Amino acid sequence: MRQPGGETRNGEARYVFLPAKPPHSTPYQMTEAIYPMNTPLVRMQGIRKAFGDVVALHDVGFELQQGEIHGLLGGNGAGKTTLMNILYGLYTADAGEIYVHGEKVNIRSPRDAINHGIGMVHQHFLQVPPFTVAQNIVLGTVAKLRPTNQLAQETERIRELAHQFGLDVDPDALIEDLPVGVRQRVEILKALYRGVDILILDEPTTNLTPQEVDALFQSLRAMVEKGLSVVFITHKIREVMAVCDRVTVLRDGQNVFTRAIADASEEELVRGMVGEQLDVGHSFLFAGRPQELTKEHAPGEIRILVDDLHVPGDDGALAVRGCTFEVRAGEIFGIAGVAGNGQRELAESLMGIRAISQGRIVLNDLEVTEGSTPSVFSNGVAYIPEDRLEDGFLPTASVAHNLILGYHRQPPYRKGWFLDWKTVFRVAWDLIREYNIRTTGPDDIAANLSGGNIQRLMLARAFAHPMQVLIAHNPTRGLDIPSMEFVYHKLLAQREQGTAILLISEDLDELMLLCDRIGTMYKGEMVGILDRGAFDKYAIGRMMGGVT
Amino acid sequence: MAVAGVKQSTRIPQWVHTLLPYVAAVVASFAAAGIFIGLMGFNVLKAYETILFTSFRTPNGFVQTLLKFVPLVLQALAFTIPLAAGKFNIGGEGQLIVGGIAAAAVGITFANLPLLLLLPLVLLAGVVAGAFWAAIPGWLLYRFRISEILTTVLMNFISFSLINYVATEIWPEPVAGHPTTVPIGEGGMLPTLIARPPLHVGFVLAVIVAGLVYVYATRTVSGYELVATGANPRAALVYGINIRTLSVFALVLGGALAGLSGAVEVAGVHHRLIEGLQSNYMSLGILTGLIAKGNNLAVPFVAFFLAVLEVGASAMQRTMMIPGEMVIIVEALIVLFILLSDVVGRR
Repeated sequence: MRQPGGETRNGEARYVFLPAKPPHSTPYQMTEAIYPMNTPLVRMQGIRKAFGDVVALHDVGFELQQGEIHGLLGGNGAGKTTLMNILYGLYTADAGEIYVHGEKVNIRSPRDAINHGIGMVHQHFLQVPPFTVAQNIVLGTVAKLRPTNQLAQETERIRELAHQFGLDVDPDALIEDLPVGVRQRVEILKALYRGVDILILDEPTTNLTPQEVDALFQSLRAMVEKGLSVVFITHKIREVMAVCDRVTVLRDGQNVFTRAIADASEEELVRGMVGEQLDVGHSFLFAGRPQELTKEHAPGEIRILVDDLHVPGDDGALAVRGCTFEVRAGEIFGIAGVAGNGQRELAESLMGIRAISQGRIVLNDLEVTEGSTPSVFSNGVAYIPEDRLEDGFLPTASVAHNLILGYHRQPPYRKGWFLDWKTVFRVAWDLIREYNIRTTGPDDIAANLSGGNIQRLMLARAFAHPMQVLIAHNPTRGLDIPSMEFVYHKLLAQREQGTAILLISEDLDELMLLCDRIGTMYKGEMVGILDRGAFDKYAIGRMMGGVT
Repeated sequence: MAVAGVKQSTRIPQWVHTLLPYVAAVVASFAAAGIFIGLMGFNVLKAYETILFTSFRTPNGFVQTLLKFVPLVLQALAFTIPLAAGKFNIGGEGQLIVGGIAAAAVGITFANLPLLLLLPLVLLAGVVAGAFWAAIPGWLLYRFRISEILTTVLMNFISFSLINYVATEIWPEPVAGHPTTVPIGEGGMLPTLIARPPLHVGFVLAVIVAGLVYVYATRTVSGYELVATGANPRAALVYGINIRTLSVFALVLGGALAGLSGAVEVAGVHHRLIEGLQSNYMSLGILTGLIAKGNNLAVPFVAFFLAVLEVGASAMQRTMMIPGEMVIIVEALIVLFILLSDVVGRR
């Protein structure tokens, strides 16, 4: 069997090493075994996990074979990350068993998991920015006392590992200088360096350009060819189809099915993720020809004008440097880019929340400066902030309070110095019904709402009020598929009505589906604007990565 | 989660849900304090009987309770209004004192004016002075982002010296033997509702002010913004509420009410400025605000309850020789138990 830690062994040899099967094979209860000839590398069965009253996983099973890329597919809140956090020892299951190499194990911490050869790469990296790549990777593994902090030997091994799996990283580079895509490779190397042979990746493509996604998929293939096994957590069906060997679909904390990709169709996977509540005929996910949904029409007058905009970030350095674009009535203008390239600062300066240092912003004939937020709202501008809990939610106030935030100074809610609560409540009841917000009523304290209902409340507020301009920042992040489709329909309906929409999104597929034009931001600059006819995933990807 | 929420609200009515922790906290704190009273060798039941019923046994007791109720309500609101905007006004004491000083100054200077003119001027002077005293920390907060917790407390110390100066140097009453000013003009005194024992109309005033504050917070646009800012200042900012101006406004409004409480003490109770007129009203007011969890509607009820305890405590000290501080322990325990019930409620 493998030794805990395994730091002294040579990498190459280890990955082809197969565990000896215990002679007294564990009782095998799965009814539907895909590869019955092999003992699965990992088997989780009957996993149950509850957080307070909310059951995140009900009796979930999962099997990982040696040498496969196994997709773990599901919508938001399906329980995929929770299940893998249990395997990685971050959570303890309330019930159920885990077998690794056929042996029952008790994983209580990530250290236990690593000792069993299980590594996980989360969406948020835990790295020390002023350290080098090698220092970050080695951190927490070297126990030997040394007179200097030289890492020559380790650096060599990291270089070897990187080369072996096609993970292009310079071990001597500082983390703070690296883009997100490379930092993710560092995180993967961290796990490989610790000698894991099971790698769990949680939504690894979120902040990657299409080129980086391709590179990542190649590395994953290289890993399984060397005998590693990969669990790939995602909500994107196309990625599962592109890279996985098998897929397990979860919905509402329950198994839907596990299937070989060769036997699965896209539609089947969507149905598995969403259940029967999706109208496939009108779904964007099956709209191979999205122009049918986004009818061509000539855009009108300029509603959003951004000219030579410079905006300082929180640290004082310029986060937006010289952006110029305009959005016309009836047009959806998309902004693509890896998160952290100035999108947030752009949106905040447009709403008058953040001071600009140069340039000008005109929304609907209103010159926007810091502090003009109230006039921005009264000028028919709607806003969907990126961080909806932090930037848009009043937890201790009522649902009605939340629904009119930003519009409370306008008719019909305002009557002189007073609020017309009768009207507020009437509107609130309408919105609760239309947007299917699960609550006892407008006077319910908003903190009683679940995450999905809070999202719907925020969307109701943005879409319910008349607007000529909409600024939406990642409006579908964290939504389940039906809610996502709902937002798409709402956005297109606003476009039909002549609203100028600025859609800032990290989801390139979403932008290409909805937008009339897409501009790409890289390090605060608008590096290129493409018309709908010229959309090319890889061209945008190059711009996102700063390659022109 | 939604299912659980629905289940909860159908099983027990909302008001039971809100009130239950309070009743439990009061009972628990009395029980806990009772242990100590018992250990000190006193009759626990008799002590509590004195505390709870003194206010209702004699007209004098009841009037005393109402007189304590007035500054408690005003001081509590002076704390809860800024609290709603996420600001801590720990300067109610100083605002009360400068409110009293201004009221006395006007009442002495224009002693000959008739009631219809002088009384409103006296009260207004208190309001304006209290507001001004809170506006200084407000400005420091707005301009330099200096914590209002620090500045409001420090302003209290300035007011202590100020009242001493006014009562010993400007309008001293030489025969008093304690820093006291000469009395204000009769036109500046609050009329009495009952002559003996004397009960001034400040009680009515406090109830009206509490009502107005409630209407302000729940019905007006500005009150809405105050609630929104208290719930999530960042979201309020993003949605166009000027939180910096609003928090200064809330501090000033709180200071105005604290100043009014000082003017009422001068115009209604002492009819002159006396050093020490602030008593421990600020601490009790903050306690009231904390027990009410910042809910302006609950403030008058909690204030009345604490006034009953305070009056009962003095009686207990007089008749049974039990230290009146016991009641402060009870009050503090109530706050602790209510905070505890929040933690338990979240589980």
